[in-house]
Amino acid sequence: MSDAPALSETSASRPSRRRRAAPRLALLAGTGTALLALALLGPEVFDRFTINVLTRSMIYAMLAITVDLLWGFAGVLTFGQAAFFGVGAYATAMILTHVGSSPALLALALVAAVLIPAAMGWLVGWMSFYHGSTAFYATVISLLVPIVVTQLIYAGGATTGSSSGLVGYWGMDLSLDGYFRLAGVCLAAMTVAALVFVKSDAGRVLTAIRDNELRCAYLGLSPQRIKIRLTAALGAAAGFAGWLYANASGVVAPEISSFVFGTELVVWTALGGRATVLGPVLGALGIDWLSASLSGEMPFLWQLVIGALFVAMIIVLPNGLAALVTRGFGRRGGDPAMGAAPPLVEAPPAAEPGAAPLSDLSAPLLAVRDLSKSYGAHKVLQGIDLEIRPGELVSLVGPNGAGKTTLMRCLTDGDARSGGEAEIAGRSIDGLTPDRIVALGVGRKFQVASVFESLTVAECLRMARVSIDRPSPWASAETLALPAAAIEILRLTGLDRMLGAPVSLLSHGQKQSLELAMVVCLEPRLILLDEPTAGLTKTERATIGAVLRKLTAELGCAAILVEHDLDFVRDISSRIVVLHQGRLVLDGTVEAVVNSDTVREIYSGGGHA
Amino acid sequence: MPDASNPASNSAPNSAPHPETETAPVLALTDLRSGYGAHDVLNGVALEVRAAEIFALMGKNGMGKSTLLKTVLGLVPARAGDVRRAGVSILGATPAALVASGLGYAPQEQPLFVDLSIRDNLRLALRSDRELPGALERVAAHFPFFLDRLGQKAGTLSGGEQKMLILSRALMLRPRLLLIDEISEGLQPTVVARIAAALRAERDENGTAVLLVEQNLDFALSVADRWAVLKLGAIDDEGDNDAQARDRVLAHLKI
Amino acid sequence: MTLALDMITTAAILFIVASGLLAIFGVLKIINFAHGAWLTVGGYCAVVCAQAGITPWLSLPLAFVVGAALGGLTERFIVRPLYDRPLDAILATWGLGIVVGQLITLGFGRDVQFTESLLPGAVSFAGVDYSLYRLFTLAAALVIGGGFALLLDGTRLGLSARAVIMNEHLARALGLDTAKVRAATFMLGAGLAGLAGALLSPLTSVDPTMGVGWLVGAFMLVMAAGSSFAGLAVACLLFGSAQVIVSTFVSPILGGITVAVLSALVLRIRPKGFSNV
Repeated sequence: MSDAPALSETSASRPSRRRRAAPRLALLAGTGTALLALALLGPEVFDRFTINVLTRSMIYAMLAITVDLLWGFAGVLTFGQAAFFGVGAYATAMILTHVGSSPALLALALVAAVLIPAAMGWLVGWMSFYHGSTAFYATVISLLVPIVVTQLIYAGGATTGSSSGLVGYWGMDLSLDGYFRLAGVCLAAMTVAALVFVKSDAGRVLTAIRDNELRCAYLGLSPQRIKIRLTAALGAAAGFAGWLYANASGVVAPEISSFVFGTELVVWTALGGRATVLGPVLGALGIDWLSASLSGEMPFLWQLVIGALFVAMIIVLPNGLAALVTRGFGRRGGDPAMGAAPPLVEAPPAAEPGAAPLSDLSAPLLAVRDLSKSYGAHKVLQGIDLEIRPGELVSLVGPNGAGKTTLMRCLTDGDARSGGEAEIAGRSIDGLTPDRIVALGVGRKFQVASVFESLTVAECLRMARVSIDRPSPWASAETLALPAAAIEILRLTGLDRMLGAPVSLLSHGQKQSLELAMVVCLEPRLILLDEPTAGLTKTERATIGAVLRKLTAELGCAAILVEHDLDFVRDISSRIVVLHQGRLVLDGTVEAVVNSDTVREIYSGGGHA
Repeated sequence: MPDASNPASNSAPNSAPHPETETAPVLALTDLRSGYGAHDVLNGVALEVRAAEIFALMGKNGMGKSTLLKTVLGLVPARAGDVRRAGVSILGATPAALVASGLGYAPQEQPLFVDLSIRDNLRLALRSDRELPGALERVAAHFPFFLDRLGQKAGTLSGGEQKMLILSRALMLRPRLLLIDEISEGLQPTVVARIAAALRAERDENGTAVLLVEQNLDFALSVADRWAVLKLGAIDDEGDNDAQARDRVLAHLKI
Repeated sequence: MTLALDMITTAAILFIVASGLLAIFGVLKIINFAHGAWLTVGGYCAVVCAQAGITPWLSLPLAFVVGAALGGLTERFIVRPLYDRPLDAILATWGLGIVVGQLITLGFGRDVQFTESLLPGAVSFAGVDYSLYRLFTLAAALVIGGGFALLLDGTRLGLSARAVIMNEHLARALGLDTAKVRAATFMLGAGLAGLAGALLSPLTSVDPTMGVGWLVGAFMLVMAAGSSFAGLAVACLLFGSAQVIVSTFVSPILGGITVAVLSALVLRIRPKGFSNV
């Protein structure tokens, strides 16, 4: 359907996309080549001491990449990567020490060094990320893991070598130069892989989670599950680095899994520049190498300088040295609103497993019985009964504090309400997290436009499709396939010409429209909208009104609209429900409600219906 | 409670100059703009509140009434325009300085420390406990009921009692200007009447100016001297509280 | 009997170490990772007193004052710009901890130092001989806990601090100088950390990394305690006892992580920790 005439104009953005892809490829190739050149030519240039130090530094740089993916991209501040590294290194050293050394055992050690940290990472992720957990808590757990691992190593006696560690086992039969090259090749591969991943559609999901976890959940993604998987995968990567380290250094000591080392990794990442991949790599290489070179002459002063620099950097330049560099180069020029973006195409309608056919108008899409919500002794909602059928556009009105937004939340989070029943398409939402309710066909638009500030318009829309079209972990899709209704919204609001624009440059009204388009991208059967017109101009209101009417009247969606603009409500609703002091006081046609005495009293008396 | 009926006789050490000596309005906003993040809530508000005057600011939800009060108090930074108190710009002043200079505020959202006692809630409005007995006596003139319940937790009060406590706390420092945010919301008529009486008394006996943000039209017009309607962050209409006032305001508010 | 006394005094020591951190977390909602550094500074105050031949009792007020003064500077120049970025505040205070640790190393060297006990010897208590000084730490913990209770319930600063903890927006709207409350709290917390360091110095040894070992346990206790001193006391008693039991019957090394692991588990199951006790 990509040849739909209405969309042909968007293909104009194609050439500019190619133009942008070129420097990105050049950057990738340049980085890869530079690192490979360092790996292969290094031994010809450097002395033994430098080779030794840089081998270690390059392994540490791999760890810095894992810290950057977690902290810089996904927003999870972690001190725990040292633990996975230590476990990988110790697993290797223990097998080689206690079982023996052979190519088969080396391979076994590699498997153990990857799988054990991965399993540990999964467990740590499960501890850290659950519905309602805080960023603080995840950081706390990441702090705890290295401490536990270190103490276990100390407690391990001869098995782990306790405080003196393990030494004198036989690793791979490689020379000093050989290890240097191996570490260099691995670092180059990992750097390129990380750079490719963070630019891919799947990689952008991490940034989306960092920006706005709630919105992710309401796009049908499970931020918790994604972060658990990420922790496990990066645990495995750190374990691999540990395997390399145990082989290359020939000694493992408890310090490599300590939380102090974990914080050092964070320091390097911060100084190099978080969320850049290259910054942390250079930060780790530079600082570790400088430390080794300078610490002989002025050991404590050097640490002092690093510490002071780190504090200053966090306060005044939170994005690290890389931010200085990119600021120096400036933006790549050109109008950001005209940034590159894939062309729009229409997506075929998604299959809706178990969905009631839309023609079946008799079955309610939403059924609420005796719903209540209280905070302690304070009752916010009580005795709410409500049924909504396909094609209805129901407005929910009432003064401030009537409980409108709370009711919306109770319908989209299965744990939110205090009592009563809520069913969507005949399925109880008991205990369902927001992402699972979204999977039942519910879309929610928030009062304050909830979008992803660090993404572009196209990337935001792609996020809304992630639960339907699996994103690629290594590429960015050629086209942006969206449902026809979403494309319609983009065209009506002019956003289709701004697909490449960063969201942070959009106006308030454009963000509201973008969020609505994202919600429609989910192909929901029931849309909940909390004041979609707040702060919009008259034209923008009219556009949103037209879109809503089309969605309900023509496409058979149902919508619940919380709105204060009563003119707007009167224009577009098929039914109005009045909420007052936590109770549903009226439910009727537009005519009946507008002319009711109760409503007049509520709005002029402000008080006691 | 001797003499409690006449709070004006209770002279505080640093009482403000008598209203008649002030020529500039107590509060003057010119082209005031503010908002949150990328969202502008106030788009150029101009209004004046004079001494010994109750000024009712009405409008539907989401029109910027609460934001206006918060901007005056420095809780939300102004983006453009000016806020003058008695002729002097107060842009950029901290809430602490403004409260000390005679601004009283009765907020709408989470307005009380529900886990603290009535006494502690009132103490927090003062800078020193030495002022407590005098200030308590002053506000008890309006709402005597909590004098013998000072140890009770504020969260255990009824809705109406909580509102009276919020207003009392705003009155503790003998403010020259009271900012009140939807105090009548959800209240019984009898409580609304007591609050109205207290506001009139403060205006008539102490010359206090009141900026009253309200949705309850009947209450607002029962106390106000002048009124204005805020719509989409700007003043849509304003006037004296005369015979036409009710119809004019209702035209803006009705469904 | 000795075991019971160990449990109680261990809990007391944990409480002393964690109380300053809790005060800061409660009011500022910021974890002060320089806490370990202030603890170390307090330990070195005791060393300085010992070297100068001054009575070790003087090291307690000295450590408090030095800690509070450094805390005041930290709040002004490092913490205040980061109120909106609590995770960055963790990092910046940790970096400060590195700086302080290195400065101490430059000044005093890396060697482990020992200080004289304030109260040497043992007393006979309920049929067993027990270290007098450990019992003294119990008294110190009670004094600190009681002091906090008095401060919070009996003074304007305490009332203001509670107001900021409960609802900072409202406190600001009522004209409380929240910046001042934060600064005072931070100084108090840092001073307590210094005091804790001086109190601990006779029990452990003093070296430039002495604080780091205590930091994580204290941090976990504070998280488990919520924002309540009663919660902290409960957490210290429960987890301190568990630590003594594990150390005695399983392994002293694993005993060292008992507090942190139990705190994390409690938080996973009950995200509010002990804040409601």
